[in-house]
Amino acid sequence: MGNTRGFGGRGRRTLVSALGDRNNRREGLEGVVRVVELHQIQSIVRPTTPSEAWSLRTAQPEATRFLGGGIDLVLYTPGTVTTLIDLSGLGRQGVTADRDGVAIGAETTLSELLEASPIASYAGGILVEVLRHVASPLQRNVATVGGAAARAHPWSDVVLAMLVLDAEIEVFDGASRSVPVAEFFATQAKNVAPLITGIRLPKRPSTARGAFEKFGRTGSDVALLNCACVADAVDGGVRNVRIAVGGTPSLARRLPEAEAALEGEPLSTARAAEVASIAARVVDAREDRRASESYRRTLTEVGVRRCLARLAGEDA
Amino acid sequence: MASVELTINSVRRTLDAAPGETLLEVLRREGYTGVKRGCGSGDCGACTVLLDGRAVNACLVLAAKANGKEILTIEGLASGDALHPIQEAFLDEGAVQCGYCTPGMILSAYDLLSRNPTPSEGEIRQAISGNLCRCTGYVKQVRAIQAAAERMRSARHE
Amino acid sequence: MSERAREPFVVVGKSVRKVDGVGLVKGKPKFVADVDLSDVLHVRILGSPHAHARIVSIDTSAAERIPGVVAVLTHANTPATRHTTAGQGYPEPSPYDTRMFDTKVRFVGDRVAAVAAETEEAAEKALRALRVTYEELPAVLSIDEARAHGAPVIHDEGDSTGIYDAARNIVADVDIDVGDVGRGFAQSAVTVETTCETQYAQHTPIETHVVHSLLDSDDRLVLRTSTQVPFHARRIVAQTLGIPIQRIRVIKPRVGGGFGAKQEVLLEDIAGWVTLRTGRPAFVCLSRAEEFVAARTRHPMRVRVKLGANADGVLQAIEMEATSNTGAYGAHGLTVLANTGSKTLPLYNKAENAHFYGQAVYTNLPVPGAYRGYGATQGYFPLETAMDELAERLGLDPIELRRRNHIRVGEGSPIFEKLGEGREGVSQTVKSCELERCLAVGAERIGWREKRGTRRREGPWVHGVGMSIMMQGSGIPQIDMAAATIKMNEDGSFNLLVGATDIGTGSDTILAQIAAEVLGVPASRMIVTSSDTDLTPFDVGAYASSTTYVSGMAVERAAGKVREQILSVAAAMCKEPVENLRLLEEHVVGPAARVPLAEVCRRAMYSSEQFQIAATASCVPTESPPPFLASFAEVAVDVETGRVKVVRYVAVADCGVPINPLMAEGQIEGSIVNGLGYALTEEMLLSSTGRVRNPSLFDYKIPGALDVPALDVILVGSYEPTGPMGAKSVGEIGINGPMPTIANAIYDAVGVRLHETPFTPERVLAAIRREAAERCPLA
Repeated sequence: MGNTRGFGGRGRRTLVSALGDRNNRREGLEGVVRVVELHQIQSIVRPTTPSEAWSLRTAQPEATRFLGGGIDLVLYTPGTVTTLIDLSGLGRQGVTADRDGVAIGAETTLSELLEASPIASYAGGILVEVLRHVASPLQRNVATVGGAAARAHPWSDVVLAMLVLDAEIEVFDGASRSVPVAEFFATQAKNVAPLITGIRLPKRPSTARGAFEKFGRTGSDVALLNCACVADAVDGGVRNVRIAVGGTPSLARRLPEAEAALEGEPLSTARAAEVASIAARVVDAREDRRASESYRRTLTEVGVRRCLARLAGEDA
Repeated sequence: MASVELTINSVRRTLDAAPGETLLEVLRREGYTGVKRGCGSGDCGACTVLLDGRAVNACLVLAAKANGKEILTIEGLASGDALHPIQEAFLDEGAVQCGYCTPGMILSAYDLLSRNPTPSEGEIRQAISGNLCRCTGYVKQVRAIQAAAERMRSARHE
Repeated sequence: MSERAREPFVVVGKSVRKVDGVGLVKGKPKFVADVDLSDVLHVRILGSPHAHARIVSIDTSAAERIPGVVAVLTHANTPATRHTTAGQGYPEPSPYDTRMFDTKVRFVGDRVAAVAAETEEAAEKALRALRVTYEELPAVLSIDEARAHGAPVIHDEGDSTGIYDAARNIVADVDIDVGDVGRGFAQSAVTVETTCETQYAQHTPIETHVVHSLLDSDDRLVLRTSTQVPFHARRIVAQTLGIPIQRIRVIKPRVGGGFGAKQEVLLEDIAGWVTLRTGRPAFVCLSRAEEFVAARTRHPMRVRVKLGANADGVLQAIEMEATSNTGAYGAHGLTVLANTGSKTLPLYNKAENAHFYGQAVYTNLPVPGAYRGYGATQGYFPLETAMDELAERLGLDPIELRRRNHIRVGEGSPIFEKLGEGREGVSQTVKSCELERCLAVGAERIGWREKRGTRRREGPWVHGVGMSIMMQGSGIPQIDMAAATIKMNEDGSFNLLVGATDIGTGSDTILAQIAAEVLGVPASRMIVTSSDTDLTPFDVGAYASSTTYVSGMAVERAAGKVREQILSVAAAMCKEPVENLRLLEEHVVGPAARVPLAEVCRRAMYSSEQFQIAATASCVPTESPPPFLASFAEVAVDVETGRVKVVRYVAVADCGVPINPLMAEGQIEGSIVNGLGYALTEEMLLSSTGRVRNPSLFDYKIPGALDVPALDVILVGSYEPTGPMGAKSVGEIGINGPMPTIANAIYDAVGVRLHETPFTPERVLAAIRREAAERCPLA
């Protein structure tokens, strides 16, 4: 499961990073190898239907985990896990375009998605641009789309893209249903997070454009901050504006105030600057060891402004 | 111990593998020592192998996930004494220093050239972006991959 | 150019393939961890959770009960001998302040105990079952805290030796004077002063420290280890474990990168002790996190430089004050500090007055050691940014300022004599120096004249160019020693046995080239063995940029002796005087003779006046000729985010005759990219309790293929008359360039001087904003 990854195997870092060092300290175990946790795993089962997978998972919430690409399981498996539920038998692999948009199977790898023809021109090709910046090909060849959504690392470029693309997450938690992506990430899973079976992207007019900015320390780094904007260019203005910022260091969120300031307006340089400064003000920026709060606000301003300039067809 | 069935370098093998073991552990135990451990967390690419034709970090893939699949390690690249053109080019261009990242780098290049015989420099750099090297400046690896691409193209045309 | 006529080389100067290359590209089992591990005891080490604490007790009972656990090592059952982990010549200029396992821990990650078990899993479980009671002590977490009055004493044990002033946490103190800097500054028209701070950074070889040990059939301890210093490792393990050197054999197979990290004897003692106690093979391999936390780093330093020059830009005085953080143990503390001055100040020998002083202090932080550049890197950053500032103040082009001050052929520097490897140095005169050409070629290649000072803008990106120059050394004069043995086989091939330690540098190949050149054979006819303390003669190892120069000379001499033997046998064979014969294309060639080398050897081996054609020769260098390098960079600074993109980097080097040009370039390219990481992204982050917060390659960012600029490395030919085949060193010098070069280019672009590394976007942006606020306070 998972797209990008964790901190060299020290689990739960992302959840507590804002709380400082103390919570992450594992006394006397600097450099622990994960062989002990991984060797607790006794079996891997491969169900063929979502309901079978769900029953297995809910029967033993502590002792089981869903297995997608497996990256995050290798890096983070808690020692309580004895059974992995391999999702590759569910047949949820592949990308198809239909009347309603694009359907992406949860077990599709990020590389497969990157190369899938339906996304090449979707919203101006923004997904291609985003995916090219996720980690390296070595990880994109393993990580799955479903895993990326399930793990939802705070710096996730994939979750950011889903947000601005109004994706729906197809889940199974006793029954199949579709959840809008923002709602999915806003809702705390009660006991067991639902099984993700796919991602659906709505149909878009050919006027849809998207832009993405990522700030990292190196070319294959996770984002210190990332942002994306999508809008439909119609005569005289832009509609259906979506602006989201991630790695703040929290998971990406849309910025409704910034979106509203642009909705229906022409995309001028001045307007872009105004929207960007709203974004910088409202973004939930905080400090972690990679960047300060104020620097993240700066990056938000610059990133959103550059995205909007690109939407307007300017080079920034 | 559970077992997995893998086709490694075109040879079908049934290997012991605990459910929680990674491909890296299993391959190294079986003597595929060209698969190097550098970090165990998918950050360095020294353990790169091809899994059904795609370069992956063997340290991040559970061996069980590879069950029934084809694996190519560096040991399977040369045919007898005849090195693969990428291996030849790495030697000729001075792309090997300590050699620890070399197998992984070569396999990432192999993956690239198998789907893109005429990569740009940018595409080459992107393809090896998950393979860290601390000895070189990547200059000579990029050149070697360009040279290998050329050799492979002209070999195809002959 | 030297008076000695340059010989037309046949093998030297050619980019032959690496002699060990084929096996490496095929993934053959050449590294330590590639041996059969099915019968080993896996050893895991418990690191301290505290920066400074006394170990009150260690309850090992629960750990010992875990199935598969064979031994638990603590201070209670291991030798207490004080030693240094620094693999240096004997007696080492580093304090003996380290025990295998101490009763006190001095940094987070310091050794507490180790477990040997049948599986890695059992060893790991046992580590978690160890119950250690600590008495926490106040910790010293910066150089200022270390030197503060009443600071906690880190080495309060009575039995450590070689510490300058343990009670004040001072490992080493250096103070040397040439002339009178006070007078020099007084007579200067312009003075500039700058203070720079460098960070904790790590070598990160892709292969971490790893060792495999076993008892051979004669009960001797065989250590197969990833080391730069096999002979020092043997000596230090013998000393630490209290067993005779005779009982130890150290084998260095291929090494997956060292960069100084493996000039340290970190794991061999533990593996050795487990094997001696249990009789079983043992395997210790640091995880990547352990490598970050408990292996070695570069010494973080604060270095202040003051320069004074007359109105013509001729330096009158240089003052350099360095404070080095040597972490919890003093390995390399003195010598890295001394090199900060000794490898930098002679470059500007026009200054008649110079003062270098400084201290290396203990802290309860990770332990620095040897790292490519070895102090010079930390010195060149302030020195070369100060030179840039001085040029500006004088209204001189920075290249011109260097021209007026750098050392030249025929010149020396009193610093050479006053400041050596932790003691007085050796007087020397520079016999090869092509800096002038390096400067000209580099300026041309980067487009210095067109680009400097233009602040070309592309959207938010502002461009600038900067430069710096540097020197290093070639080995440690009158201290280093290298030896080589060559013996001939009856097919005309040769064994070349060297203690010189190829750690991926290609030294096996260039040493083979040197020997092959002398013996008139292709390099492929040399079978190189490096290194095995049972088989190969002594060599101090791979450090101090010594191998090409020092080991190279030993090889050249040994080959010369073998050549004489071959010629004398051949002279008898073809009844020609030796003077008429030479070695060419695997033959002895004379006016009327052409005898294959194989026949010569067969005669010596099997038929007439039989003997083994073989020779051993040694080299102790009497000087350390510096290689020189001019580095130039064009950067683009995103003024909105502070991101610095290096657009192009040009390095023009004088390393004498490059024995293997591709490999020499590779050394420079690699050291530059390592330096780029150091300048831009690499930084070990430490918590308020002294813990490394980013011990992974996920969060400690070394450059990948996407992160390097267009990189031009140019070798200008020169000939070092004292060197083997005209060669000097090349391995370290390049790493000194990126910090000052990029800092100067950033200044050219956006007018801010950076004094703290790395130049992260956030730091650069803060500097840009600070400067803007100072320039225009009301804005």
